[in-house]
Amino acid sequence: MSLAAGDALRAEWTKLRTSPGTIWLLAGVTVLTVALSTAAVAATSCPAGIACPADPTRLSLTGVEFGQAVVAVLAVLVISTEYSTGMIRVTLAAMPHRGAVLAAKAAVLTGAVLAAGAVAVLGSALAGRLILPGQGFTAARGFAPLSLADEATLRAVAGSDLYLALIALLSLGIAAIVRDSAASIGAVLGLLYLAPIIAHALLASPHWYNRIQRYAPMPAGLAIQSTAGLAHLPIGPWAGLGVLAGWAAAALLAASITLRLRDA
Amino acid sequence: MTATMTPYRPRQQAGRDSFAQLLHAEWTKFRTVSGWVIGMVVAALAMIALGLFPAGAADIACQSAGGPASHGKACVSPVPSGPAGEPVTDSFYLVGRPLTGNGSITVRLTSLTGKYPGGRASTPGGQPAMIHGLQPWSKAGLIIAASTKPGSAYAAVMVTGSNGVRMQYDYTHDIAGLRGAVSSASARWLRLTRSGPTITGYDSADGVHWTRIGAATVPGLTAAARAGLFVTSPLHSRITSDFGGSSGQIMPSVATGTFDHVALTGAWQNAAWTGRDVGGGGNYSEQLTGGKYRQAGDRFVVTGSGDIAPIPAGHEYPGPPTVTVEQHLIGAFAALIGVAIIAALFVTAEYRRGLIRLTLAASPRRGRVLAAKAIVAAAVTFVVGLAAAVIAVTAGVAIARSQGFVIYHVPALTVVRVVAGTAALLAVTAVLAVAVGVILRRSAVAVAVVIVAIVLPYILAVASILPAGVGEWLTRLTPAAAFAVQQSVPAYPQVTAIYTPANGYFPLAPWAGFAVLCGYAALAVGVAAVMLRRRDA
Amino acid sequence: MEATIEVTGVRKRFGSTVALDGMSFAVQPGQVTGFVGPNGAGKSTTMRVILGLDAPDEGTALVDGRPYRDLRHPLHHVGSLLDASAVQPSRTARNHLLWLAHSQGLTGRRVDEVIELAGLETVARRKAGGYSLGMRQRLGIAAAMLGDPPVLMMDEPFNGMDPEGIVWMRGFLRSLAAEGRAVLVSSHLMSELQDAADHLVVVGRGTVIADTSVADLLDAASGGRVTLRTAARSEAMTVLANQGATVAATDRDTLTVSGLASERIVAILGEHSVPFSEISAHRASLEEAYMELTKDAVEFRARTAQEASR
Repeated sequence: MSLAAGDALRAEWTKLRTSPGTIWLLAGVTVLTVALSTAAVAATSCPAGIACPADPTRLSLTGVEFGQAVVAVLAVLVISTEYSTGMIRVTLAAMPHRGAVLAAKAAVLTGAVLAAGAVAVLGSALAGRLILPGQGFTAARGFAPLSLADEATLRAVAGSDLYLALIALLSLGIAAIVRDSAASIGAVLGLLYLAPIIAHALLASPHWYNRIQRYAPMPAGLAIQSTAGLAHLPIGPWAGLGVLAGWAAAALLAASITLRLRDA
Repeated sequence: MTATMTPYRPRQQAGRDSFAQLLHAEWTKFRTVSGWVIGMVVAALAMIALGLFPAGAADIACQSAGGPASHGKACVSPVPSGPAGEPVTDSFYLVGRPLTGNGSITVRLTSLTGKYPGGRASTPGGQPAMIHGLQPWSKAGLIIAASTKPGSAYAAVMVTGSNGVRMQYDYTHDIAGLRGAVSSASARWLRLTRSGPTITGYDSADGVHWTRIGAATVPGLTAAARAGLFVTSPLHSRITSDFGGSSGQIMPSVATGTFDHVALTGAWQNAAWTGRDVGGGGNYSEQLTGGKYRQAGDRFVVTGSGDIAPIPAGHEYPGPPTVTVEQHLIGAFAALIGVAIIAALFVTAEYRRGLIRLTLAASPRRGRVLAAKAIVAAAVTFVVGLAAAVIAVTAGVAIARSQGFVIYHVPALTVVRVVAGTAALLAVTAVLAVAVGVILRRSAVAVAVVIVAIVLPYILAVASILPAGVGEWLTRLTPAAAFAVQQSVPAYPQVTAIYTPANGYFPLAPWAGFAVLCGYAALAVGVAAVMLRRRDA
Repeated sequence: MEATIEVTGVRKRFGSTVALDGMSFAVQPGQVTGFVGPNGAGKSTTMRVILGLDAPDEGTALVDGRPYRDLRHPLHHVGSLLDASAVQPSRTARNHLLWLAHSQGLTGRRVDEVIELAGLETVARRKAGGYSLGMRQRLGIAAAMLGDPPVLMMDEPFNGMDPEGIVWMRGFLRSLAAEGRAVLVSSHLMSELQDAADHLVVVGRGTVIADTSVADLLDAASGGRVTLRTAARSEAMTVLANQGATVAATDRDTLTVSGLASERIVAILGEHSVPFSEISAHRASLEEAYMELTKDAVEFRARTAQEASR
C-alpha cells in the first residue's frame, strides 16, 4: 500500500512535470501575484497630515487575489484534462485505488503551488518593504518596514502561501466532481469572487455581511493576511484560514466519494 | 469504367449566400446543446436569486434616543421626495412672507459664518470642541417655494460656504454664479424674480450691475407661494476614505447669515416677516443653537441648519435605509460567470473535438464565422439577461419596499438604461468570451481570463483595502468600468458625500464606462479574427 | 475529362517536419480515386490544404478550379469527411446535420434525406456522443452528402467499420462514382480499397509515388511473371534459361519464370518435350503492389509519425 502510494505520487509528479502548461501556470502565479502586489503598494500613498489606518502588510499581499485565479486554473486542469482526453481511464487502469490517485494529485499539486506561492508572497512582501516607505509609510509615522521578523507579518506572508495551496486543493476537489474544465473553473472563481461582492452589497445588513466574511472561502481565508485591527475582524486570521481548509477538505472528501462511486 | 462519364450535376440547388445562413447555423448549434441552454437558464435564475437576496436579507434596525431598538418597516420615518420623485432633504430656517403673484425680492448678504463640533474633546470621552467654520455647502439666500411642505418645488439663489453664489431649484439643479466667499468687504447682492411659474435668479457684487444666473420653471407654484430669506447648513462629515473603504464621522452644523437692504416689489402679502424651521428643523443643541433670527431695521441675522438637496445614494450616507435599482442587479456577477463559461465553450468545445474544421470547411470565410458566433452568443445572452434583469428589478423593488426601504426614484429612462445596460454588459461579456476562446482555444484558461478581467478589478475597486483613488482608476481603465452602466443615481456636486466606486458611484458616465468594456471586446475580436485567419485550423 | 480537385506542387512544413514536399495530383470525375500511403505520408494534411483549413507554404490546391476559400457554399462543391469523431457529443446526430445544413442554406428536409442515405434513420435523434466509430463514420458521410456535391473527399472512411459496413461503404463509393461524381478516398490499408478504387494516388514522404489506374498498377506489380508447375524441374529450367528467361525455383515442383510471355513458355516446353502440369500468369494483389511501391516510404514512417498525430 505504501509502495503503491509512493508509485502514485511519482506517477502524478511525472504527469504534472511533463504537462506543458504547468511551468507557465506556476510562473503565472508568481508573476501576476507580485505584479498586482507591486502595483497596489505603488498606487497607495499616505500623504502627510492624514491618519492612515492602514494594514500595509495586507496591502502588500493584494496580489494573492489575482494569483489564486491562476492556481485555480492549474488545479482544475490537473484533473479535467484527464477527463477531456480520456486519460483518466489509463490512470485508473494503472492505479485502481482511486483515493490514492486523488491523494497523489493533491500532494504534488500542493507541493508545486507552495513552491510557486512562496516566491510569489515573498516577492510581494519584498515589494512592500521596498516601496511603502517612499509612499509615506515611514517608521516615523508608525509604519515599520515590512519584516518577517515581525510575528504578524510572518503569519500573513506564510499564511498567504498556505492560502494559495488550500485554494489549489479546493479547486482540485471541485474539478474532480464537475469534471468539465470550463464549468469547474467557473464554479471555483464564482465561489471565490462572488463572496466579497455579495458581502459588499449586504453592508446594510451586518448580520449577513459578517456571516459571509466568516464562512465564505475567500474572505475568511484572506483574514490570514490581516496584521492590524484584528479585534474588529469578523473572523480571526487562523480561524479564517481554518474555514478555507474546511472548504478544501470537504471538496476533496466529496471528490473522493464521487470518484469512487462514479464510472470513470 | 467509362471514359465518357459526364460529371455529376447536383440536384441540390445552392441557395443564395448570406450571412443570415451563418447566423442560423450558429443559432442551431447553440440551441441544440442542452447543457448550454440549461446553463443560460441557470445563469438567469442565479442572477434573479442573488439580486433579491440583499433586499430580502436586510434587517432595518432603528435606535431611537433612549428607547429600545426596533426593527423593520415600522421604525422607518418617511422621507420627503422632490418633484421628480427622488428622496430629498428639505430642512432650513426661513424668514418669509407669502408671495401671492408676480414679484421680486432683492437682498444684500454681508456675512456667512458657521460652526460645528469637529474639534478635539477637552476631556477624554467628552463633547468635541466647537470649530468656527462653514461647510462647503452651507447656504444663505433667497427662496421662493411652492409651499413649506417638505419636498415641495422651489427655486433659490444663495451664497454658499465655499462654492460661491449658486442658483438651485427643485433639489437636483445647480447653476454657478459669482465666485468667492462673502464678507462685509465683499458683499453679495441676490435677487429672485417671479413671473408666473418662472423664477429668475440674479447676483451682483455692488447692487448696481446685475447678472442673470438662470431661470427655472417651478411646478405647482400657486398664489400661496412662500418666499423669503433662508439659511441652512448640512451635516459636517469627516471622511477618511483611504483604506478599508471609508469611514465617516458625521456631526450637525449651523450657519448664520447677515442680510440687509431687503427690497420687495410686486404682489407681496402685507404681513410681518415670520421665522420658522421648515421640514422639521435642523440639529440644534446647547452648544449649537439655531433655528432663529434677529431683525434690526432691515438687517436680518438668521441662523439655520439642515439642507435643501437630494439625498445621495450609498450606504455610507446617514439617513433612511435607501435602495437603488442597481442593487437588485448584483446577481449580474453570477450570470457573468455563467455567460463566460457558455460563450467560451461555444468556441472551445469545437476546438477540443476538431469540430472547428467542419465549421470552417462549411464556411471558409473565417471572419464571418467569428462574427456569427459572437452575434449569436451576444443575442442569446442579451435576451436572457434582459429577462433576468427585468424580473430581478421588479421583484427586488417590491421586496425592498415591503421591507421598509426607501427606493430611489429615478426617471423611467434611467431604469431602462440600467436594466438594458446590464443585459448589454452580459452580452458584451459573451462576445469577449467568444473572442478569447478563439485566441486561447483552451476552455479553462479562456473562462478564467474573462472572469478575472471583469470581476477582479471590480472587487479590488469596491471591496478591498486599496484606496478609493485606485478604485476610481480601476473602474476607468479596466473592463470593470462597464458597471458604470448600472449606476442609477448621479453624483450631486452640490451635496458632500462619498462618491466612490465602493459606494456605487463610478468615475465614468454610464455609457462611457460601458464603452470601455466594448473597447476591450472589440480588441479581442480583432485579435481573434486575425489569428483565426492566419492559423491552420 | 476536367479535373475536379487539382493539387499542384504543395509544400507544407510544421516546424522542422516536412509534411508535404511538392504534392501534385488531380482527381477525375466518375471514378473512385484511392489516396493511399503509410501513416504520416501527408494524406490528411493534403486534404486539410484542399479544404482551406491549412495554408500551404507553396503550391495551390483548387476545387472546381477555384481555391476552396473562394467557394460560397462549399458543401455544394465538395463534401468531405475528415474526422468522424469531430462532433459535439451532447448534440443529436440530426441536429449536428441541421446546423451544417443551415450554414449552406439547406433545410431539415435535406437533412432527413442524407440520414436515410447513410442508414441512420433509427438513431438520428440520439446524442452523437453515444455513437460507435462506425456510426460516426456514417454520420460523417451524411454530412458530406448534405450539399449533394459533385466531389467527395473522405479521410479513412473505413476506420472502425464492421465487415458489413465495409461492404456497404465500397458499394456506396462505387455508386457515387457511377453517378459521375469524383470521389477521393484516403486509406493506409490498400485491402480496404480492393474492388472500390479505379484510380490510385500513392503517396509517401509528402509526395506522390505513383498516380495510376488500378489495372496498370496491378500489371506492373505482376511484372509478367509466370508460375510453372512441372515434375521435370531441372529440364524446364535449362531450356527456359537458354531462351533468355529468368527462372527461380519456388517449390519442389514449381518455378517462377519472368522475361517470357506464358504463350512463349508453352511453345518452348512443347518444342523440347518437357512435361508440365500447370502454367499460370502471376497476379499480384493490390496489397502486394502497394507494399512494393511504398517500401521506402514505410521505413520513413517513424520519422513522420509526429506529423500524423497532429
